[in-house]
Amino acid sequence: MSAFNIPLFIRGQVIEQNWVQFGGRGGSAPFSAPDPQQYVDQLPLDSPIALRDLQEVSFAEILDLLEELGQALNFETNRYVQQAYAAALEAAPYPPSMLQGSYIGLPIYFARDRVREIAEQSIGLDYLEGWVGRTLQDGRQLRVRAFGARALHIPAGNGALISAITIIRNAITRSDGIIKIPSNDPLTATAIARTLADVAPNHPLTKHLAVGYWKGGDVAVEEKLYRPEHIEKIIAWGGFASVKHVTRYIQPGLELISLDPKRSATIIGPEAFASDEILEEVAMRTACDVGTANQEGCSCARVVYVLCGTDKEGLAKINRLGELIYEKLQQLPSHLSTKAKSFNRELRDHIEATRMDDTFYRVIGAKENEGGVIVSQFDEAVDYSPLLSGRVANLVPVDDITKVADAVTAYTQTVGIYPDSLKEQLRDLLPLFGAQRLTSLGYACHVAIAAPQDALEPLRRMCKWIVEETCDPRAVTPLWRLPDLP
Amino acid sequence: MSQTLEARARHLMKDPIGFFDNSITKMHRMPKEEVEALQRIGMSIRFKEHSKSIEILRNLTQRLGITEVKEFNDLVPLLFPHTVFKSYPPALLDKKRFDLLNQWLNKVTNVDISKVDVSGCDSIDAWLDRMDQQTPITIITSSGTTGTISLIPKGKEAFHYGMRVWRTFLFQTFGEEPTKASLYPDVDVIWPNFAGGRLGSLRLADYLKTEFTGGNERRFHALYPAALDTDLTFLASKMRAAASRGELDRLKIDPKLLARKAEFEAMQARAPQEMAAFLDKCMRELRGKRVLMIGPYNMLHDLAAEGLKKGIRNVFARDSAIMTGGGLKGYKVPENWRELVKEFLGVDRIQEMYGMSEVGVSNWACEAGHYHVQPWNIPYVLDPDTNEPLPREGVQTGRAAFFDLMNEVHWGGAISGDEITIDWSTPCRCGLASVHIHHDIMRFSEKQGVEDDRITCAATQQVTSEVIDFMRGYES
Repeated sequence: MSAFNIPLFIRGQVIEQNWVQFGGRGGSAPFSAPDPQQYVDQLPLDSPIALRDLQEVSFAEILDLLEELGQALNFETNRYVQQAYAAALEAAPYPPSMLQGSYIGLPIYFARDRVREIAEQSIGLDYLEGWVGRTLQDGRQLRVRAFGARALHIPAGNGALISAITIIRNAITRSDGIIKIPSNDPLTATAIARTLADVAPNHPLTKHLAVGYWKGGDVAVEEKLYRPEHIEKIIAWGGFASVKHVTRYIQPGLELISLDPKRSATIIGPEAFASDEILEEVAMRTACDVGTANQEGCSCARVVYVLCGTDKEGLAKINRLGELIYEKLQQLPSHLSTKAKSFNRELRDHIEATRMDDTFYRVIGAKENEGGVIVSQFDEAVDYSPLLSGRVANLVPVDDITKVADAVTAYTQTVGIYPDSLKEQLRDLLPLFGAQRLTSLGYACHVAIAAPQDALEPLRRMCKWIVEETCDPRAVTPLWRLPDLP
Repeated sequence: MSQTLEARARHLMKDPIGFFDNSITKMHRMPKEEVEALQRIGMSIRFKEHSKSIEILRNLTQRLGITEVKEFNDLVPLLFPHTVFKSYPPALLDKKRFDLLNQWLNKVTNVDISKVDVSGCDSIDAWLDRMDQQTPITIITSSGTTGTISLIPKGKEAFHYGMRVWRTFLFQTFGEEPTKASLYPDVDVIWPNFAGGRLGSLRLADYLKTEFTGGNERRFHALYPAALDTDLTFLASKMRAAASRGELDRLKIDPKLLARKAEFEAMQARAPQEMAAFLDKCMRELRGKRVLMIGPYNMLHDLAAEGLKKGIRNVFARDSAIMTGGGLKGYKVPENWRELVKEFLGVDRIQEMYGMSEVGVSNWACEAGHYHVQPWNIPYVLDPDTNEPLPREGVQTGRAAFFDLMNEVHWGGAISGDEITIDWSTPCRCGLASVHIHHDIMRFSEKQGVEDDRITCAATQQVTSEVIDFMRGYES
């Protein structure tokens, strides 16, 4: 018995037959999808010239349509969204309160001003609307335009937002998009695509979107699809194994835009302990960075470095902060954070072992699935820090600022910092170790979509940057008239 | 409790082989009620001793308010997660703070090691040597994925006794009374591994050399005559963890070790040829002899398949002992691998054993392929998510946990990372009375998140890298 079905959406057409079953292992709910083998040949665009219709759509029209799409994604009335919610209840690690929140919030991301800001900040509207001209030093007139490309998206499944962003980015860049569904967010992208087809049945945006499921790593499907004659760019989020797997298809003509798997950290300065009120606020901000989306995201904090010193007094301070963060974790609103639906067993084993002796670490909470704080009693994180999940943070006391660089590694995305003055002090240093985004403590999971992501500009990378130039021999010295070398 | 029953329980805990007159058949035919009565007394005795003498157990019992254990399930909250033996900060190993490590270890064992002088120990092996010399314990290690190694203190005598259990089981057959030949085997030992080291399996090598060969060490045939370096094992764990954290770019490696890394990588590259040559030599020189051979499934299978292709069969004497185990580690062997190996080597059976270093008990498989739990070992099947005990009746699948009554120097209760199935209600078809564990055992870590196609943007522990494969081949 499948818990739900994932139809195949190909450019406006919905396929609901030839079902085969997937999943059902490791506690995940089984589901069905049309046999990918039978349909893989229909997924790619027939010919690159078929992208022409989309290039001719004005940006204003794209904004209009996305806005309309957003309004149609109303959780109360849209049955596709309701189906997506029901499927996520089975497949996602989130409780109903959080999932509902994420689907109710979906329309906001399609709002005109939001989309325009993303386009303007990430690419520049001029480049999307037409040829942007300038004259170079040698006299030539250069015009540059951002074209769409034939793209394949492998989004992460930890949140409906990622599917929405993927479709929005595809529309902004006027790309042809094939979305490979992740099994932990089985129906969101399909719901958005089907709503789009209802709102604008024959619109080029609808005709340049395909959404379906095949098992990641299914070579029989991927070898047919992941080829330069079908796809120019693969945008892969997270998932070390899946990214690593995709690299085998990369070759001239097929580019990988990899939004690597990441983790995030926190650095708290001594100012946090200036007063009880400030400490309370710092604890709440930290709890928010740790607990949002139940710590499933790459921007969620895990290890928290605190510049409180490692002497007796410093340890008393950090232990107090740990207690407060634990308290605040329990107070986070239920649409943002809850007790974890399930808790990593390996992490549980480590925490229980750590709890047995409080010489090196002190464990606060983490008794059931409510989350917890492990406070190191010396200046090192627990060795199992990559496992931290289910709202468990590790606080690490440090003596001075040189040690906080330990917070940042090649896998670091966001660093939440308190106070902001410390952030300015660190911003030219931490990126060298790997940090990609420094933000005010408490805002790690409050991500601006209009900003660069993972230290790159995915929207610019998704475009093809085409140059058209005019060289008048009277202005630009022709090569054929260059004098002979003496 | 009656004095005789307690005395019998103490006898069982001290010398189970003697208790059962050297007979594995007697050992596993004792009626369930009788075994369980002895086990209840035994666990109560150990609890009383260890809840006073082992600090981390004392802390736990105080925290939980547990003052006595009567029934098997009373013990469940006191079973340690297997991770307890690596709950020390790895920085202590890294910085060679063996003084602090001993402080930690002192809480895990009831042997007072606070007086051991660790000054001058400049490597993990030097420290472990010092502990071997100056204490009644021997520390066995096992490698892990989180950047450090487990350090499990064992009583030297008990560890040696464990080897005697092996000897008792390797050459006896369930249902037959022991003979001189089965009790005191005198064989050539084929050991396709390092001849020494501190990993649980390698610590055994010392005993294999003497216990099975009639003291003639020249009859001990190891693939590599040297010991596996613990510092290098630790480095491999550390590199694996650094890779999973994105910290390989700042990993500091002791220059002395770095020099040896190249040496070991070269060795790893040569390993397939050397293994083939070693096995070929053993097959030729020990032809027709009575041997003890220990190797992983896939090695035995490949060897047999290759040999049978060449028309070779019945290599060794029929009363040889062939032992395997350790999981398939991703290799696939055909269903009839046992038959192939038996035909090629010329033996009637292949011995399999299941245990965990954190407990120290070896549970041997019967002819039906079920692992029979030793009478001094209390098995549990726990709910994998809550660690609550599942009923001791019917067929139960869950997380394996054990309490070993023989363990004197550390608390004998541990929860494994393995999924097992026990049929509590149906006697094994081999006819033995003891609790039996189904042959298919899987690590939860292998089961979880394998190819389930979930993608999140967060980096997880799963990260792998070519560089961390380094040494994997040596950790048997």
